[in-house]
Amino acid sequence: MKMTSAADQTRSDIVAMLPRLRRFARALTGQTADADDIVQIAVERALTRMDQYQAGTRLDSWLFSIVRNAWIDEARSRARRGKVFAPAELGEQVGNDGEAEMHAKLEADDVWVAMRRLPDEQREAVALVCVEGLAYREAAVTLGVPIGTLTSRLARGREALQVMLGGAA
Amino acid sequence: MSVDEDRLMAFADGELSGAERAEVEAALAQDASFREKLVAHRRLRAQLSAAFDGALDEPAPTRLMEAAQPPAAEVVKLSDRRAARWSVREWGAMAASLMFGLFVGVGVMGNDAPLIDAGETGLVARGALASALDTQLASEQAGAVRIGLSFRAQDGRYCRTFNLTEGATAGLACREADTWNVTMTTVSPGGGEVRMAGAPPEVLAAVETIIDGEPLDASGEAAARDAHWRR
Repeated sequence: MKMTSAADQTRSDIVAMLPRLRRFARALTGQTADADDIVQIAVERALTRMDQYQAGTRLDSWLFSIVRNAWIDEARSRARRGKVFAPAELGEQVGNDGEAEMHAKLEADDVWVAMRRLPDEQREAVALVCVEGLAYREAAVTLGVPIGTLTSRLARGREALQVMLGGAA
Repeated sequence: MSVDEDRLMAFADGELSGAERAEVEAALAQDASFREKLVAHRRLRAQLSAAFDGALDEPAPTRLMEAAQPPAAEVVKLSDRRAARWSVREWGAMAASLMFGLFVGVGVMGNDAPLIDAGETGLVARGALASALDTQLASEQAGAVRIGLSFRAQDGRYCRTFNLTEGATAGLACREADTWNVTMTTVSPGGGEVRMAGAPPEVLAAVETIIDGEPLDASGEAAARDAHWRR
């Protein structure tokens, strides 16, 4: 395969996107280790499909959709193999931190747990819009759903999270 | 959820402008419970940021940096370790063959009748694919074909994305008089049995170039079907 400079540019754009891909994958999988596995698979897929990326379109949406499909594939194949997901790392890093810091960590853990409990479709919508800051239209295209579907999943997901997190300040 | 709450959510997400935005602002000025809901939306966003933004400050692990290097580096791909699959190149070649008509007439999935066949002006949908495009809604349980998005193209035609449930072929078809012209197909590695109704990015990219406005919602889709996809 001949590497054009456009392909090299896309490659370095993908590297620059790694932090956001990791964040999105964490919100999607609810696990840091799983998230990096998924990002690795997605990056590999993206590179073999670079000819399908259209320059000038949004690279982030394209990569997010590959991450999301990689996670769907992985979740399905684990379900077929009867494997459960890695256990939560709740409270793992609480150690000697100050009280405020510990509180912040516990709250963050609660958010991870709450996200894991959401149905996949709602979690995807929340992750793209509320975590990654995509506009509704971009998020809908990323997920391959009409915008009305996206907004109703988003509304339900948000409501469920607010209930689970108790709405406490 | 009421229309007002959907509006408020859109406002909180920065989706509104102009008159719609002003309307919500006016409602917020008058209604304390509305304001509380806005605060709750913002608090949730802040909680999500606090929980996940850490990924932005951490250096990416070496294996991810390596995965993004050119193929010459020959890193062992995680996906290769997991399953022997056709490479994208092989799938791509198959998709290309399909587009050039080598497989046309054999039938896409080798079942009874071909689902995509050569017509006078290019590839057209036949058999189960044609009838699914005619009548099946995105919400309906899939047989051989799953329907994804339905929308109007800028030239007024109705178009629909589809996935064939066996194999991993997805594509886009547009209504032309009495036939569905298949304007593109793609084959995704390993995606066939697991892919949801959503169209793969290649198909969405094709949708993006011809869509007029938003995709049809469920009621719009049903109405267009009931009108036999006439312009």
